[in-house]
Formats: sequence, C-alpha cells, structure tokens
Amino acid sequence: MLTVLLVDDDTEFTEVVCTILDYLGHEILTAASLEEARQWLKQETFDHILLDFMLPDGSGIHLIDEINTLSKVPRVTLITGHPSVKGIIKSLTGPKVDYLVKPINREELENALSSKKSTAAPKTKKSTVKLHFGHLIGESESMHELYTLIERVSKTNANVMLMGESGVGKEVVATAIHDATGREGQYVATNCGAFSKELIGSELFGHEKGAFTGAVGRKEGVFERAVNGTLFLDEITEMPMDMQPNLLRVLESKTVTRVGGTKEIPVNCRVISATNRSTEEIAESKIMREDIYFRLAVFPITIPTLRERKEDIPDLATFFIDQLNKENETDFAWSSEQFAFLQAYDWPGNVRELRHFVHRAAIMSDPDSSLITLPKTIASPFTKTTKASSSALTAGRTIDDVERDLIYATLEKVDGNKTLAAEMLGISTKTLYNRLHAYGDITASA
Amino acid sequence: MTDEQVAELKKMIHDARKPLNRISMQSEIVKMALNGELPAEKAIDALAKILQGAQDCSQVLADFDKHLMSLR
Repeated sequence: MLTVLLVDDDTEFTEVVCTILDYLGHEILTAASLEEARQWLKQETFDHILLDFMLPDGSGIHLIDEINTLSKVPRVTLITGHPSVKGIIKSLTGPKVDYLVKPINREELENALSSKKSTAAPKTKKSTVKLHFGHLIGESESMHELYTLIERVSKTNANVMLMGESGVGKEVVATAIHDATGREGQYVATNCGAFSKELIGSELFGHEKGAFTGAVGRKEGVFERAVNGTLFLDEITEMPMDMQPNLLRVLESKTVTRVGGTKEIPVNCRVISATNRSTEEIAESKIMREDIYFRLAVFPITIPTLRERKEDIPDLATFFIDQLNKENETDFAWSSEQFAFLQAYDWPGNVRELRHFVHRAAIMSDPDSSLITLPKTIASPFTKTTKASSSALTAGRTIDDVERDLIYATLEKVDGNKTLAAEMLGISTKTLYNRLHAYGDITASA
Repeated sequence: MTDEQVAELKKMIHDARKPLNRISMQSEIVKMALNGELPAEKAIDALAKILQGAQDCSQVLADFDKHLMSLR
C-alpha cells in the first residue's frame, strides 16, 4: 500500500482517482493547489505524488524542487493535458519523475504507481548469515530465548510490548512477529512520538473530510490500515497522556471512530508497542496509564542489548557488510582481528550503532580491495551521551554514586568552573566543595 | 496562420482533453461497478457524467469548427 498525494484542482477527476486508488488499497490525500500540497508535505510523508501540471496558483513543476529537499523523496507523476509539455517535463525532471497525459485510464494510473514498487524490490543475492523469522540475526542464548518467545506469541492474538534500549531492533522484532504470525492483513508502523497532540488522533484513528482545517480528504488511520494484520506503535510512552483514553477505548472495544466521524469501524489487529523505557520507569514516571499498559503489555518482551550478546557481533557485521557489498558491488570481508576489535566495544547504541559503523567503514575502504579500513574511533557523540545516561540510571547503583557521577559530569561540561557547576546542579558552591572533599578529590581545595 | 491563432487553436484542443479525460475516468468507474468492485449506483452516476462529457466535447469541437471558419 502506498500513501499518495493527488494535487489537482479538477474535483471530479480527484474524486474518481480517489475511488480507484482507494479500491486498489492505497491511501490517498488530495490538494487543490500548490499551497494545499505544501501544507500536506509538512504534515505527512508520501510514497508517490500525482501532480497536475497547471494549478490555480502556479505550475506543478514549482513543487518538484521542494519535493526533492524532503527527507524521504517520493516518486512524482506529473499529469498534463498537453502532450507537447512532455518534452519540457523530461528535460526538467529527474529519474524519480514521470508523466501521464490526459485522458488517463486506470491501467496508466496503476502502472505509474507500481514503478515505485519495482524500484523498491529487494535484491536477490543472499547473505550467508542465517536469518531467524526472516529478519533476526544471532545465535546467542539470549537471542534463542527471544526466538522462543516470538514463536509462542505468534500463535496467539495477544498484544505485545517490546522493551529495550534504543537501537536494539524493536521494529525488526515487530516485523518478525508479524511475519511469523502469517496474518492476512498488512504490517503498519507508526511512531507515537513523531506527531503533535493535534495530529496523533488523525494518524491513529483517521479523519473524515472537513473534520478540521486542512482535512481536505478522508483519511484512514493506522488501526484501519492494519485490519487483520499488525499495528506497530513505536515510542508508545511518548504518546500524550490525554490521548491515551482514546487509545484505550479502541483497544477495549476493537472499534475505531474517525476524527469528525460518527461511524464505528471494527478493527481487528494485533498491537505491538515499543518503548526504550524500563517497566520501573513507566510505573514511576507516570507517562502511561496503568490500564493502557496492561492492555498493551499482555506479552512483554525485552530485547537484549548488543553488549549482552557480543558473540553475535561477527554475524551482524557480516550481514551488514554483505548488504553493502550487494548495493555497491564491492567485495569487502572482515578479518578475525577486526571481529575482536568490534567485540571489545560495548555498543551503547546497540545494533543501530554497529550498522552505522560498518557503513562508515565501508565508505572509508578502498572499493577495489577486500580489506575493510576501520575508522579510528567507534563512538559518536550521541552514543557517548547514551552510555553516560544509561550507566547513571542502572538499577542497583547507590544514590551517592549517581550524585558523584552527576557532579563530575557537570564539572566536565563547564571545564571545571565550580561556581557555574554548582549553579547548574542547584546547590551552593560550599556544598559542591564539601562533596568534592568527601570524594577525596585533591583539586577541590584549589 | 499567425502565432496567436495557432495558440488559440492549441488552447481549444487542450480544452477538449478535459471532457475526454472525464469520459475516460468515469468509464473506469463503470467498469469497476460492472465487475462488482463498486456499488451499481456509482455506474449510473458515472454514465450520466460520460454523457455530459460527450456533450461538452461536442461543444468544444463545434467551437473549434466555428473558429476555423472565422479564419478563412
């Protein structure tokens, strides 16, 4: 299923295209002008844009430059009523742009949209690393325990909550559960932390045309799109508290009502949610209602960190380099010394960090050789921060330990300026000196 | 024929594409309704629009003809 934006001021044409694409299972939003299209591009990401050449406030061509600056560049099909414009379009646009000349029929529309699918098709060459459930890599004990859990839960309809640090692969596990279940519906993923309070209702439950300013067309929510399939709600703990009762109602009643609508639509899907917070944190920080937690975490699964399964690093690194070899037609291979080097590091950013590191290494290496050149340092500024904060918050540490770490981290941040550090810590300079004396820090008296 | 006259004729041809597109797209709706992919009443609405599209097309062609005669 594709998310399509149709930009055309001919309402009858847009209505027919919406009917056809809706039937074909695509999600379609409409805009009658460049301005409306720009608004949609700020709010949504699209796989494909059907763009009329002549719009009331200018040519569709003007939008192409803006589309090319988006983080995810959709394919664009320009629609023109003038065959002679073909040449202009061809010279102006890139490989992700094609065109249709009116009069248009269904087949042409389908062909225009399917070109995206064919370019996104996976490559056929396979990696030598074994994939469990088609997605997961690792033969460690903790991963085999995870595979057992996936196998058990896939035979049920229970909602699953995936827990684990950032980068452990929660979405990959969600996809594995969906595939293992063999459900007839599709897998739909959304990030609850990526939407503003105003938009999250529309994303989850959909909206009717005219439900709010900018709702120029009807939109199905993710619950509807995932009927008979799996809905993955990432960063569930980032969902605003006042939105949670609405989610609870859907989970309990298994029906959804679109924003601005009255009809109750039955939705039957497994909900897999994910968070990088621990159960203790969820309970203590009051970021999630208890009733929602128990609805979502019928079967909680904690995904192991990479440092807990370092024996899987060679397989993961091999899989990532195999993928890059396929994409770039290179022939890189790891040496056993390099595996040892990778296994010596703790990977606070987990599998995601490892994958990015492998990518960096592949870029640095000579494409005509099979030797991989490793970057001098592994850690990035982000992973360093993650490590500091995660170690500070590890259960089992004393408050005194955490306080000491915080004081030294603050001093480091302000280059040892104790007055500034005390101010940041919210304590008096005298208290800071007392603490440093207590820690036996000889520089405290300086 | 002057450039202005050519441009005017091109515009009229362009205008004829709109009702043709309407006929083409609404025909798809009829096909889908006949295949049971859409409710039958959608086909009735679509056929009315096709007939209107044919009338509009005929009108554009009549205007085109009139314009050609005026160029003689």
